[in-house]
Amino acid sequence: MGRKPQDNPQLDMTPMIDVVFELIIFFVVTIKQEDIFSKLNVNRPAPASSKSESDNDEPCKIEVGKNARNKNQGVYVINGKEMKLSEVDEYLKTTVAGKSKKPEETPIVIRCENQSPHKALVDLLDRCYKYRLFSLSVFSM
Amino acid sequence: MGRKPQENPQLDMTPMIDVVFELIIFFVVTLTESQKKDETIELEDGQHGVVLTPEEFPPDHMQIDIASRDKDGNYLKKGRISMGDRTLTKADLKDQIKLRKDRYGHEFPIFIRADFATRHETVREVMDACAEMGIWQMSIMAVSEDKTHGDSRKHLMKLKGKE
Repeated sequence: MGRKPQDNPQLDMTPMIDVVFELIIFFVVTIKQEDIFSKLNVNRPAPASSKSESDNDEPCKIEVGKNARNKNQGVYVINGKEMKLSEVDEYLKTTVAGKSKKPEETPIVIRCENQSPHKALVDLLDRCYKYRLFSLSVFSM
Repeated sequence: MGRKPQENPQLDMTPMIDVVFELIIFFVVTLTESQKKDETIELEDGQHGVVLTPEEFPPDHMQIDIASRDKDGNYLKKGRISMGDRTLTKADLKDQIKLRKDRYGHEFPIFIRADFATRHETVREVMDACAEMGIWQMSIMAVSEDKTHGDSRKHLMKLKGKE
């Protein structure tokens, strides 16, 4: 009954499966998932104009400085009182966003010290966004 | 019932595998090309910000990178401002903004992508450059969902704190 192999071939799946596994491993190892980004919109007022500060609502002023003990951590100053990020969070929640009818429009003025780490500023902006305080101005000093 | 060999041929996988490998090479090359960016920059977390997936970046946006480390991971005295692969001085940056402004008008978005450990000084330089060119609104980039670095950032923070 000598059949020729071509007549009724059994498709050998083994090499294909091998290749597919190779591919899976290759992609699992090499593919790097992209971060999902977020953006925090800020205003940079003109250096000379301090006029915008005196408009409508009383602005909430927050200072960002560097931490004397750990230069990678920031420190926040509100009304002359030093605060940690968790305290600022609480302050924004109860005092600023809580008392304002339109938190989106409450001006927040952030003064940032030259030597403060960027992390401190981003953390603060993020907290402002958390309580829908979107009117953010960043000054430098 | 003499069948012709063509009716039931042995499927030859070789060209298919060749093609698959071609495809792999193609995608690997194009992927790495599109991911060319300063890998030393690690953004701070900002889960509450406006979420922006890589596809959602507006085509006319201008991204300014600020790195605090060089390619070998050593901390720089002063942050390095760059766009694409080019390092820029403040004057260069102003020129670039001016070029953009001539092309897209006043309203194009500026994204500042600054490493979490950069001093505000350098960020300030970028913000001042924008403000001096008449652009008052800018966005500071953060990470909404961290998929690449995970805990490495916290590790780095500890390392740097010890210095």
